[in-house]
Amino acid sequence: MKKLISSCLFALFFSITTQHQSVSGQQYDKLNLDSQPLSNKVCATCHGSYGVGNPIVGGPSLAGLEPWYLKRQLEGFRAKHRGNETDYVPGNEMQVSVARLSDNEIEEVVSFIATWKPVEPEQTLSGDANNGSALYASCAACHGINGMGNELLGAPALVGRDDWYMARQLKLFMSGNRGGNPDDVYGQQMRAGVQALGSEQDINDVLAYINTMN
Amino acid sequence: MNKFVSRRELLSLIGKTGATAAVLKASTALGLVPETNVQFPDIPSVNPANRPAVVILGGGISGLTTAYELDKAGYDCVVLEAAPKAGGRCMTVRSGDLIDEVGNPQICEFDDEPHMYFNAGPARIPSTHRNLLRYCRELGVELEIFVNENKEAYVQDDAMFNGKPIKNAAVTTSARGFMAEIMAKNFTGHELDQPLNQYEAESLLSAIRSFGDLSEGDVFKGSTRSGYAHGGFIEHGVQKDVADFSELLKTDFMRMILGQNEGETGPVLFQPVGGMDKIVQGFTNKLEGKIYYDVMVASVNLNNGDGVEVTYEHKGMKYKIQADYCFNCIPSHLMTGIENNFDDNYIEAMRYVRRGEAYKSAFQAKTRFWEKDDIYGGISWTNQKIQQIWYPPHGVFKDKGVILGAYDYGGGMHFTKLSQEERLETAIRQGQKVHPEYRDQVEKGITIAWHRMNHMLGCAARWARNRDGMTADEERLYRTLQQPAGGRHYMIGDQISVHSAWQESAILSAHWAINDMVKRQSGISTMPGQKLS
Ligand SMILES: Cc1cc2nc3c(=O)[nH]c(=O)nc-3n(C[C@H](O)[C@H](O)[C@H](O)COP(=O)(O)OP(=O)(O)OC[C@H]3O[C@@H](n4cnc5c(N)ncnc54)[C@H](O)[C@@H]3O)c2cc1C
Ligand code: HEC
Ligand code: HEC
Repeated sequence: MKKLISSCLFALFFSITTQHQSVSGQQYDKLNLDSQPLSNKVCATCHGSYGVGNPIVGGPSLAGLEPWYLKRQLEGFRAKHRGNETDYVPGNEMQVSVARLSDNEIEEVVSFIATWKPVEPEQTLSGDANNGSALYASCAACHGINGMGNELLGAPALVGRDDWYMARQLKLFMSGNRGGNPDDVYGQQMRAGVQALGSEQDINDVLAYINTMN
Repeated sequence: MNKFVSRRELLSLIGKTGATAAVLKASTALGLVPETNVQFPDIPSVNPANRPAVVILGGGISGLTTAYELDKAGYDCVVLEAAPKAGGRCMTVRSGDLIDEVGNPQICEFDDEPHMYFNAGPARIPSTHRNLLRYCRELGVELEIFVNENKEAYVQDDAMFNGKPIKNAAVTTSARGFMAEIMAKNFTGHELDQPLNQYEAESLLSAIRSFGDLSEGDVFKGSTRSGYAHGGFIEHGVQKDVADFSELLKTDFMRMILGQNEGETGPVLFQPVGGMDKIVQGFTNKLEGKIYYDVMVASVNLNNGDGVEVTYEHKGMKYKIQADYCFNCIPSHLMTGIENNFDDNYIEAMRYVRRGEAYKSAFQAKTRFWEKDDIYGGISWTNQKIQQIWYPPHGVFKDKGVILGAYDYGGGMHFTKLSQEERLETAIRQGQKVHPEYRDQVEKGITIAWHRMNHMLGCAARWARNRDGMTADEERLYRTLQQPAGGRHYMIGDQISVHSAWQESAILSAHWAINDMVKRQSGISTMPGQKLS
């Protein structure tokens, strides 16, 4: 299990025997749907507490994602550039989760997630990092030699990301399920970038190499 | 002379004449297979001056059971619940309630009346679920009979009778009649009358005849069991035509219909008067001030065998809580996203469990149109995606009622993937095949896709990956997660049972954990203060 890299500061400490303040009632009042609270709750159910990620639900870690990239992905899901795959449940679930967000709400969520501390990525795959290193040469142009990403090119950092999640994304890019939409400019670039990978083994190898950069 | 047939001989007899599965079934019937049993917890009261602190994560039925039992025994209990109300999957929807589906929040607009509710999760209590029933009695939850099978309800399949709905009774009598005819005709007695004496053979034959309501000469000529075409009271009844058996063979329904009334969906079933969540209220009434809502657990860490530390978030603030014991019914697939320091085996087990799928939808009906069709409660079956239509057994003769318009259990992703509008339109279109007046009759539809419900994201944890049940490896993982982590942290809920999707299983998982804690605790001092030596 991953650990928060720096421990959280608690606004308030108390032990079980001290007095709890009383918390909200039993039932929702009639809610105005548009004012659904956009608390971290909405995202944390799938992405884990403070965005540490949840491999079983399929929500990758969000803590530490570059705000510009995060924003673009939320917009991309909202516009159905992503998450519109048939029979890819994780993508579909993420898509509906943010389909109703307004521009303001996206801003709000992005700045909120920026307060979450980066976590150690999950390393679950094994591959040949030497071969991966060779394959990575073609990725480096956009994602940087150290995998730190390049905002100007719109390519996010790959260090710090869960390998199981990246593996799924590379497959989606390969099949054109991600990056296949003509309006998805950055996705299309990456789709071109993934052509360097020919097989599942290549995917494992390049991710094994990326894991070594963490 | 009657020859004595022992149980075992009878079993081997059935084994010879039938499949081995028949032997298995028969042996349960004769009570040879022991029933596994979890004792009702008997918790020694604790010293009020030295109460162990217990934090319960999630206010599902198992969490509430734990809190209720431990609180009674004097433990210092706190329940932390992420939603604004307790109950988890035990959820009843009424006027004004929010259905907190991720990406598809809905407010229920049913009329505000006591009988106008929908049990979005559990709806049936089998009479054999003793522990749940015991709590209903203890907590003052009033019960009424739930009707599962209704012979007056419909069966509809596009492949059968040109898609026309026919009454369940017509299917059942016809299916049984023809099956009995085959059995009786083949009952030459050659193989059977050897191990069976004459009396037994006759007894079996007469049961077969009665099973199918066979006429003279052991032929099936229809049965008044499926009702009369007309008459029957003052004028002589005219029997209905026999539902063509060859039509029944075109579908799967014969198997389904004949099996429906058995086991846990067989009578007698109960429902709480006014909605399943009356059980939740029964518990929460006893736990006043001990349940905290809108509290999202963010980390669970063991303190070197000396209790558990939990952090949580409430309205944007973070808190920490220390306890001697932790009972946790947060779905395992959500726990995998919550920071913890459990050991690798425990985490491996937690990660193994798969999210289940289930989908229900419901409508308010402007009139109780089904009652005009002699239907009071029960289920109509269809081969369409909605699968089932349930009629409320309560509120008979009131103006309106709430009906279940779709129930996809075990593979509920078809509707889940649709938009709210598509979900409701599909339910109406398919409902029309069963009740032509459906579209005009139903309104204010709601849908519950458990795979997407906030803080749940699933229903009925799945341990086995294949149909033959758990493998040895799966059994090992299950037992690993059942054991307390560090002797202090218990996963509970129907996820820690081999029979998920029943509240009884959730309760029994709590009982199992409590019993285990009591056993381990026998060293705990009953004296005030800390034990020094
Ligand atoms: C469609 C459907 C039909 C069913 N039919 C029946 C039936 O007819 N009869 C029957 O007996 N049973 C039925 N069941 C099964 C029954 O509902 C469950 O077995 C039972 O309710 C499970 O209880 P649980 O204790 O496991 O907790 P759950 O109900 O799983 O509750 C888990 C709780 O944890 C909370 N939680 C989640 N994350 C956090 C967090 N981070 N922090 C704090 N809290 C959190 C959730 O909000 C929830 O309250 C049905 C279920 C469904 C979905
Ligand atoms: C119902 C579960 C669910 C909810 C709720 C949810 N997500 Fe997701 N999210 C996912 C899944 C699953 C994926 C992975 C999709 C894939 O594999 O393509 C994902 C992917 C993402 C990504 C893409 C990450 C990347 O590296 O490209 C971002 C960003 C994201 N989610 C942000 C959010 C935010 C912000 C919220 C809250 C407003 C949120 N999600 C709510 C399930 C969810
Ligand atoms: C031409 C530039 C380019 C090249 C070459 C390229 N990428 Fe990308 N990559 C991108 C861009 C741009 C994105 C962001 C796409 C988006 O916004 O949806 C991206 C996204 C990704 C993602 C998804 C990250 C996430 O969080 O979802 C992964 C994984 C990835 N790239 C891996 C690779 C690998 C491995 C290679 C080499 C085989 C590679 N990329 C080559 C430009 C490139």
